[in-house]
Amino acid sequence: MTLKFVPSICSYCGTGCGVLFQVMDGQLVGTLPMKTHPVNQGKLCIKGWNLHEHITSELRLKHPLLNTFGRMTKVGWDDAIGFAADRLKTIVAEHGPDSVGVLVSAKITNEENYLAQKFARAAVGTNNVDHCARL
Amino acid sequence: MQKQVRAWLEDGKVDVFLAYKMDCGHPLPHAFTRERIDETEDLVTGPARYSLEKFATQIAARHPEKKIGLLARDCTQRALNVLAVWNQLPAEQVEPLPVNCCPSALKPHADCTYLEAPATGEVKIQCGQDPRQSIEAVDAQEGPERFARWMYEFQKCIKCYGCRNICPVCFCKDCSLEHPDLIGTGNLPPDIPIFHLVRAVHMAGRCIDCGLCEDACPAEIPLRLLYGKVNAIVKDLFDYDTGASDALSPFSILGDKPTLTPAPLLAVSQE
Repeated sequence: MTLKFVPSICSYCGTGCGVLFQVMDGQLVGTLPMKTHPVNQGKLCIKGWNLHEHITSELRLKHPLLNTFGRMTKVGWDDAIGFAADRLKTIVAEHGPDSVGVLVSAKITNEENYLAQKFARAAVGTNNVDHCARL
Repeated sequence: MQKQVRAWLEDGKVDVFLAYKMDCGHPLPHAFTRERIDETEDLVTGPARYSLEKFATQIAARHPEKKIGLLARDCTQRALNVLAVWNQLPAEQVEPLPVNCCPSALKPHADCTYLEAPATGEVKIQCGQDPRQSIEAVDAQEGPERFARWMYEFQKCIKCYGCRNICPVCFCKDCSLEHPDLIGTGNLPPDIPIFHLVRAVHMAGRCIDCGLCEDACPAEIPLRLLYGKVNAIVKDLFDYDTGASDALSPFSILGDKPTLTPAPLLAVSQE
């Protein structure tokens, strides 16, 4: 029997509430608000309370899927990234860089968000960048 | 305290002990075990209060053979009584270690945060229910005023389910609050006042007045006051003190003996 409480920060929005992940027997079973955290002071919204659910969700995507003729087919990472790069290049060449927009997310790290905007500005050449936590 | 927990784990009196440990500068709940017994030197008793009895219930559901020790404030003791009454956590599986509770003039040192509601602002005093009022003060309000004040509080609800999630004595697998036929989905605030009243009714004979729900409420709804009133009715009607003993709740429906009996005085007055 093991029971662990892992302190973390909620990744849903930019507020940064302190959460505790409850791990029992190596399995994530719950999320709790951190009582002494200065941001949320022991309170959470419904998304924060259910942070653990998407990790164990059956619906979670585990492989890249490629939409070919209306059907989603499982492909490798190299194929998926290669295909996306080819299509992006064609679109930028045909319609210009401002035909592309990049939407980033609070569910990825700060560093990944930085890389995404860098990719938009330096590689694609557009300022069309937005984020779900632009509250 | 540390020595006692260490001794309990070494003697085999308990297999796991639920208490708090400083981690990243925060007192966080921690499960102390025999395998990592040196951690007991970092055990702290406060000041934060987490629902340790709820963790114990979850452990007991998975590992009925494990003996669980836990820090027990007065409200934890009441919760353990209620959980035993409702067959969720057998009393013989838990070993509470009493700790200091809420501060008072007689007991200056306290490990509890007391979970006391913060001072109320002007708008809340004018429109809502001040959480630090007595039940009698709320009862003294005129009917329409009292209703309007409670509705003001309820309409702030963001339906986070925090009150239910944190509650040590909320253990049902299927929750009425998530039943689409009882509570409409997709709107905020949720169906008021029914959302809060359903929960209040379910707290009758169960609420142990620990204050965790009110502490977890982002909208600062005075839930403790609401459930306090519900339990005051239970006390008046059935003479049942929730959590005070292992006596069966008047609402217990298991077994062949009826438990829903009115309080003696009331029975006489009805005749």
